[in-house]
Amino acid sequence: MTEFLDLELQDSVRMPWNVLPGTKAHAANCAIPIAAIYTPLKTLPEATPLLPYSPLRCRSCRSVINPFSIVDFSSVNKIWICSFCLQRNHFPPLYQSISEQNFPAELFPQYTTIEYETPAPQSQDKAQPGSSNVFLFVVDTCVIEEELGYLKSALLQVLGMVPENCLIGLITFGTYVHVHELGFGLIPKVHVFKGTKEVTKDQLLDQMGFFTKRPRPTTGVIAGVRDGLSQESVARFLLPASDCEFVLNSILEELQKDPWPVPSDQRAARCTGAALNLAAHLLGACVPGSGARIMAFLGGPSTEGPGAIVSKSLSEPLRSHKDLDKDSAPHYHKAVKFYEALSKQLVHQGHVLDIFACALDQVGVAELKVAVEKTGGLVVLAESFGHSVFKDSLRCIFQAGDHDLGLASNGIFEINCSKDIKIQGIIGPCASLDKKGPLCSETVIGQGNTTAWKLCGLDKNTSLCIIFDVAKKESPDIVSQSANNQFYFQFLTYYQHSNGQMRLRATTLSRRWVAGPGIKDELISGFDQEAAAVVMARQVSFKMETEAEFDPIRWLDKSLIHICTQFGEYQKDNPSSFGLSPRLSIFPQFMFHLRRSQFVQVFNNSPDETAYFRMILNRENVSNSVVMIQPSLISYAFNSGPEAALLDVVSIAADKILLLDSYFTIVVFHGASIAQWRKAGYHELPEHQAFSQLLQAPRSDTDAIIRERFPVPRLVICDQHGSQARFLLVKLNPSATYNSDTQAAPGGDIIFTDDVSFEVFSDHLQRLAVQ
Amino acid sequence: MATPGGPRSGNFPPNYNPNSLANNMQNLQINQPNQQQPNNAGGSAPRPPPNATPFGQQAPAFAGNRPGPPPPGVFPRAPVPPNAPAQTTLPPNMVSSRPAGPPPGSQPPTFSSRPPPPGAMPSSIGRPVSPTPPASGPRPGSYPSSPLTSAPSTPSHASASGPVSNGPPTFAPGMTQSGSSFPPAMGGMPRPLVGPPQPQAMLSSRPSSQPLQMRPSFGGPPTALSSASGQPTPPFSGLPRNMVPPMGSSPFSAPNTGMHQSINSPYGMQTWPAQPQQVTPPPPIPGPMQQPPRMFGMPPGGQSLPNQSMALNQTGQSKIDPNQIPRLSQSGSVIVHETRQGNQANPPPPATSDYIVKDTGNCSPRYLRCTINQVPLTVDLLSTSGMQLSLLVQPLALAHPSEEPIHVVDFGESGPVRCSRCKGYINPFVKFIDQGRRFICNLCGFTDETPRDYHCNLGPDGRRRDADERPELCRGTVEFIASKEYMVRDPMPAVFFFLIDVSMNAAQTGATAAACSAIKQVIADLPKGPRTMVGIATFDSTIHFYNLKRASQQPLMLIVPDVQDVYTPLESDVIVQFSECCEHLEMLLDNIPTMFESNRIADSALGAAVKAAFLAMKSTGGKLLVFQSVLPSAGIGSLSAREAEGRSNMSAGEKEAHKLLQPADKTLKTMAIELAEYQVCVDLFITSQMYVDIASLSVIPTTTGGQIYYYYPFSARSDPAKLYNDLRWNVTRPQGFEAVMRVRCSQGIEVQEYSGNFCKRIPTDVDLPAIDCDKTIMVSLKHDDKLQEGSECAFQCALLYTTVYGQRRIRVSTLSLPCTNMLSNLFRSADLDTQFACITKQAAIEIPSAPLAQVRDQATNVCINILYSYRKFCATVSSAGQLILPEALKMLPLYTLALLKSTGLRPDGRIDDRSVWINYVSALPTPLVIPLVYPRMIALHDLNEKEVDDSIIPVPIPLSSEHIAIDGIYLLENGVDCLIYLGDNVQPNILQQIFGISSLEDIPNQFILQQYENPLSKKLNDIVNEIRRQRCSYLRLRLCKKGDPSGMTFFSYLVEDKMASGFSYVEYLIHIHRQIQSKMA
Repeated sequence: MTEFLDLELQDSVRMPWNVLPGTKAHAANCAIPIAAIYTPLKTLPEATPLLPYSPLRCRSCRSVINPFSIVDFSSVNKIWICSFCLQRNHFPPLYQSISEQNFPAELFPQYTTIEYETPAPQSQDKAQPGSSNVFLFVVDTCVIEEELGYLKSALLQVLGMVPENCLIGLITFGTYVHVHELGFGLIPKVHVFKGTKEVTKDQLLDQMGFFTKRPRPTTGVIAGVRDGLSQESVARFLLPASDCEFVLNSILEELQKDPWPVPSDQRAARCTGAALNLAAHLLGACVPGSGARIMAFLGGPSTEGPGAIVSKSLSEPLRSHKDLDKDSAPHYHKAVKFYEALSKQLVHQGHVLDIFACALDQVGVAELKVAVEKTGGLVVLAESFGHSVFKDSLRCIFQAGDHDLGLASNGIFEINCSKDIKIQGIIGPCASLDKKGPLCSETVIGQGNTTAWKLCGLDKNTSLCIIFDVAKKESPDIVSQSANNQFYFQFLTYYQHSNGQMRLRATTLSRRWVAGPGIKDELISGFDQEAAAVVMARQVSFKMETEAEFDPIRWLDKSLIHICTQFGEYQKDNPSSFGLSPRLSIFPQFMFHLRRSQFVQVFNNSPDETAYFRMILNRENVSNSVVMIQPSLISYAFNSGPEAALLDVVSIAADKILLLDSYFTIVVFHGASIAQWRKAGYHELPEHQAFSQLLQAPRSDTDAIIRERFPVPRLVICDQHGSQARFLLVKLNPSATYNSDTQAAPGGDIIFTDDVSFEVFSDHLQRLAVQ
Repeated sequence: MATPGGPRSGNFPPNYNPNSLANNMQNLQINQPNQQQPNNAGGSAPRPPPNATPFGQQAPAFAGNRPGPPPPGVFPRAPVPPNAPAQTTLPPNMVSSRPAGPPPGSQPPTFSSRPPPPGAMPSSIGRPVSPTPPASGPRPGSYPSSPLTSAPSTPSHASASGPVSNGPPTFAPGMTQSGSSFPPAMGGMPRPLVGPPQPQAMLSSRPSSQPLQMRPSFGGPPTALSSASGQPTPPFSGLPRNMVPPMGSSPFSAPNTGMHQSINSPYGMQTWPAQPQQVTPPPPIPGPMQQPPRMFGMPPGGQSLPNQSMALNQTGQSKIDPNQIPRLSQSGSVIVHETRQGNQANPPPPATSDYIVKDTGNCSPRYLRCTINQVPLTVDLLSTSGMQLSLLVQPLALAHPSEEPIHVVDFGESGPVRCSRCKGYINPFVKFIDQGRRFICNLCGFTDETPRDYHCNLGPDGRRRDADERPELCRGTVEFIASKEYMVRDPMPAVFFFLIDVSMNAAQTGATAAACSAIKQVIADLPKGPRTMVGIATFDSTIHFYNLKRASQQPLMLIVPDVQDVYTPLESDVIVQFSECCEHLEMLLDNIPTMFESNRIADSALGAAVKAAFLAMKSTGGKLLVFQSVLPSAGIGSLSAREAEGRSNMSAGEKEAHKLLQPADKTLKTMAIELAEYQVCVDLFITSQMYVDIASLSVIPTTTGGQIYYYYPFSARSDPAKLYNDLRWNVTRPQGFEAVMRVRCSQGIEVQEYSGNFCKRIPTDVDLPAIDCDKTIMVSLKHDDKLQEGSECAFQCALLYTTVYGQRRIRVSTLSLPCTNMLSNLFRSADLDTQFACITKQAAIEIPSAPLAQVRDQATNVCINILYSYRKFCATVSSAGQLILPEALKMLPLYTLALLKSTGLRPDGRIDDRSVWINYVSALPTPLVIPLVYPRMIALHDLNEKEVDDSIIPVPIPLSSEHIAIDGIYLLENGVDCLIYLGDNVQPNILQQIFGISSLEDIPNQFILQQYENPLSKKLNDIVNEIRRQRCSYLRLRLCKKGDPSGMTFFSYLVEDKMASGFSYVEYLIHIHRQIQSKMA
């Protein structure tokens, strides 16, 4: 396991198969695809230098020189051979001095991942406000006064944190969309757009008076200051934070609830779609191509105009999973289509859509998902604008320091790989750039059919799941070819760093492939169970969303059985003989929990929540994703330090504190006795300092987790037998239920469920695997 | 007969022949007493100089002067220059020479000497007084001789003094001098003295002017008036001084002090009733009794009719004595008019004259006026006459301050008593039968049960015993409080929404600033109270609303950028209670010009802005006041500069030229109908310097009961004052909202069509989102059956409306006229002002839909047909060479000629000007129609040489360049524009005195009247203010100089001259005469 973590540390990548099945047939047998979960902006080891020049590229395949490139120091004109296409490239004059003892950092074996920063031309650009970061707040005002108050104070707080050179704009919406003109000094001024109507960019340019001072260019696309707009007309809406702080403060303070009356039997008229559409157009007109985020604060479902998810009448309930399955959600497809178009536009402009959905009801995250995911936006789902999940998450985005998100923008991600490997696609927050090439596989999953992707927004945690195909056919000479049994992969990420500079990160991987009979053990040795579980999770989520009539349980079980059959040690038809290599041993458990997880079992969640969970799953790295699939459980007791506990109902004890981290929720669970003592106030007594420390320990750990996580998880502190305890119980393996034979241990607990326990699951698995 | 001379001295008393000089004489004499009385009166009536300038020179001043609810004071029915003719003609010494008493004595003789022109029609006939020719010859009498006016004037003169004295207080400004000249006479004054002399004067005059019938009506009242004058004074004086509007009642209600009902009446007129006893008794003057019979007892056609005949020799005009031809003369005196006498309808005084109405059963002619004061029994009779039968309805017309306010009657929950068949309202002509248990509707003839609680026994005369106590049974006009069933919703609040163009042009020409400043000053005059709501928006290529209801913050500007599909950005808070947003509004109005100072957006989305404002007002309705400066070029209802297109292919499109006077498309019309449906009334203030396609724009105000104000070319220097005053009058004048009007007629007559500024959804009703005192609706009538001989035909106009204070009222005016089957009666009772107003309005309606030449011919033909009919059927045998005109209509040719030369019918001229004219005419009140086409011109240079007397405005001069002296200064006004013409040789010192300049070269382009410290300047200011008051209009003042385009403009108003666009007066008479002759042959 640790070797995978080391690899991840160096290259930010985890692969289920670190030894690859070398042929198509073998790969097909593996059930889990060849894949890589890559975190492009993961913090590099400290020693890694930042190279202040542009990388050398292969003449034919444009891949970047890397430690796997063979350098021929001997020849007069030093030459390097591209590891992907074997093209021989000359070094440019600058590199003339290299030798075996003296070669540049990008050729160091430990720098398989390295960053280049392209300097000069960009820095001039940076002087223009257009290219610094832009934050366009899109604020829902159809909320009750109390919520609006929370939201206002959160925004006001954020305003103080926005870096001074960032541009800020404000759009509020309710029945209508209000675009605030911050640069008009005399009186507050807003442009009011109808919520029911989709405005085009041209209309917006005309209607908002972008051409009053300067005539409209007769040809070409109007795009920002460089193409057709005057600086001052842009500066009406987007102003440096330092310039508009006062105006913005006063506007936010005066912000009123949407004044249009709402009949008691109706929902408020909320035109989220129109507002986002306008925001996109505004950014598209003013600052295309530079890093900009639309931050949408939504307090309820969109009921008006494009992208509405439900009608205004309260007699129509919001769509549920059941409605979606039966295709009886009348607005769903229309809304999704609208947001798909919006996402295309945003991707084209290089802008990000962030969603902060804070309502007890659904707000349409399920529909918005496409736009958020394709632009690499952030998403936070909370019950209220007053909830810490929202407030703290929002603060996270703007905070500086160790725990900042490392927000970057305008990323472009490219893959090069050996010719026998094809790319099926990426499951993750990115959008295809439709750059087709020989590397594209015919099988497509996620954002496929391309070798380049746009990542409008990305951060330290953004992780892409890239799924490959082996193209090599089984052939007699395949084994003999073992001289060159390496596959190479190169991931190139261009992005705008939060400091405004353009950077390129290049990661080059090499993996051995095997073929022919008897490769089982070799494959097992390179199997990364966690990565595999995460790939499965992403795949199953993706398939559930895209494939009609898809049965996730069946699919997961089939895959699992297949793997067990392939890689298990057993005698045929003898379940008790079944055994798994340690490399594989916990994989069935992951699958068991995945089957029970919110990604697969959508029954208790709204479509919004499911969409939210999946979006986070699709952007997080392996270790975080694993926590989502199988939460971690830590037990605290008097006589021992914190220790990992079995994610099972048997872990519950009256005198223990349990800390469950299911990523989205952190549950601190006090055993019955602990709870009693606490209620009795023992922890306040000096003689019971130990108890106080015991109580404190899980809280400290919780804080540490929360600090590092975005979105901030929901913290539930509960007691055994309390109502909130369900947050823990639902995640535990129901080894003891109300109708199981085993009685709960004293102080333990049982779960009222008919779900199968892991024991039953693995019994079945063994039985099926050996058939 | 055959000779020109004959007719004069002979049968017909032609006013204009030399003999008419006698009239002057009469007038003079008659006036004499007036002049004395006025003094008293003047004295008694404190004419407070303070409010001397209701129409301040500079707008602000104006405002300043009259703080509160001045509106009433401002334009109250102007007291008209009393005895104008007399003054001008008469040397001052006359006064002194004439003792008060004599006139009566002297008059009678004339009377006796004169064979009383039998059926002679009212004034004109009376006047002629040919017998008294001898008298002062000096003035050819051309003006004073005016038929109608002068005669009545005589008697009324006496009365005039009364009213005048009354009046002054109200509109003191003009009167100042008179006031000052007789300061001692305060309050009480020797009223008694005054009284007596008058009757005499009256008498004397009456006889002289044979139209005995008239006299009584006029004669009686005057006395009353004069006697009353003493008393009214207090109220009047009180009014102007205090400016305190009686709470609750409209600003117009003057001091209610003496009045019983005044409190209820929305526009309570003042005083008249103050002394009802005094007033009424006097009337029963000998005259009344005898006269009426005469009037209608006309013998058949054989009788000589009052004619104006003229010898016209085809061969040459030279033979025509210009002084002989009929001309309008302004009579300055106030006439007192009783609407019915001896149970007979009394023909109303000329609309242009100054009169006081006493409602004795028929409604005041201000509210309802018929083209003919006797109704022809059959349609054949009517068509033979060539005249039309129409009503001019001005339901909320301003009454004379001395008139009794309209009684308000509350029937409680059950609502007013109405006929169950035709739904006509109870009125004085409803006949109660069967001990009062049932009543017969005078409109449809249906017999109804009297509601139990309304039952009352009948007296021996067949009238209900309570008839005199119940206004609805003894007054021609009453107002009923509407009960619930008249409301589809709660009465709407008074909503005023201002919409201002801030596009580049508007901002740069100062139009925006002018509008803002005008609004800012006017908002203080808006009706006070919680029901007054205001809103404001500006627009260029987008629409900017302002949220005025923000506790601590500045107003918020809300921009609606989509001008193709507009909406209102907020449902509430855009229109806010006035009291809540007063400060914000003022601040905003200060800011708007600055905010848009450097606006570079040239487009203006008027249509969209109106639509958006409408959406904001939709829930309530209200008044939308729009200030527009350029051709709307963006958004809904945008227009193209089609005038230019029209000009470029003029040759090809000549026949289609009138198309430019039609709306460009239906968009605005559709919108206007929607506006009207939701009770939104739009007034357009066009402050433009270019073509704005009024023809298209005017659809909106016309359909919604609004009007167009046109400032072209807008001048930031001289126009803001007018803009302010127009706006102020617009919001402060008596008005009502969400009104519905219907006119019902007796069986046999039905309404054919309504025309004016309103929206018509169903044929029988007129929908008026707003109606105000200046709006007149023409109702053309037709026979659907033969009328009953000897019966009366009644017309009832019912206006259901909401007052600015949120009361739902029904104003019902009933006019009952006798029926006749004699053509001569029709001619005798023809009402010139009304007829001409109808002709004008009809021409205005036709202009956009027919080639101009056709419309012009049509106008002439109407005139010819009437005169031909008269000539053929009524005139006694006369030579073919003679043009014979019916006395009542003798001015028709002149007015028709003037009409042909008016802006609307003149073949040259700007399209927009013509559209504005059409729009202006369509709702124009009757009294303003004639001045519009035949303006009033007076000389200014000799003001100092004239004696100071009661009349502020000197005698008008005929509109002929013969009367323009090279060293003269003349003022010409038509109720809209006021031109001051400077001759080439004006004395520098006069220039200096009036304009503060030393030579003609220094004349400013943009003229602002200022008052300098000298009597001449003061007089001029007084005159202008007086005119403004009379016309209820601030007037656009312009200086004209010979040789300038402005000079051309001035001369284009001299309609009696021969000019490119038509005949001279004399030529026109000849033309008409020829036409008649050819028809005769």
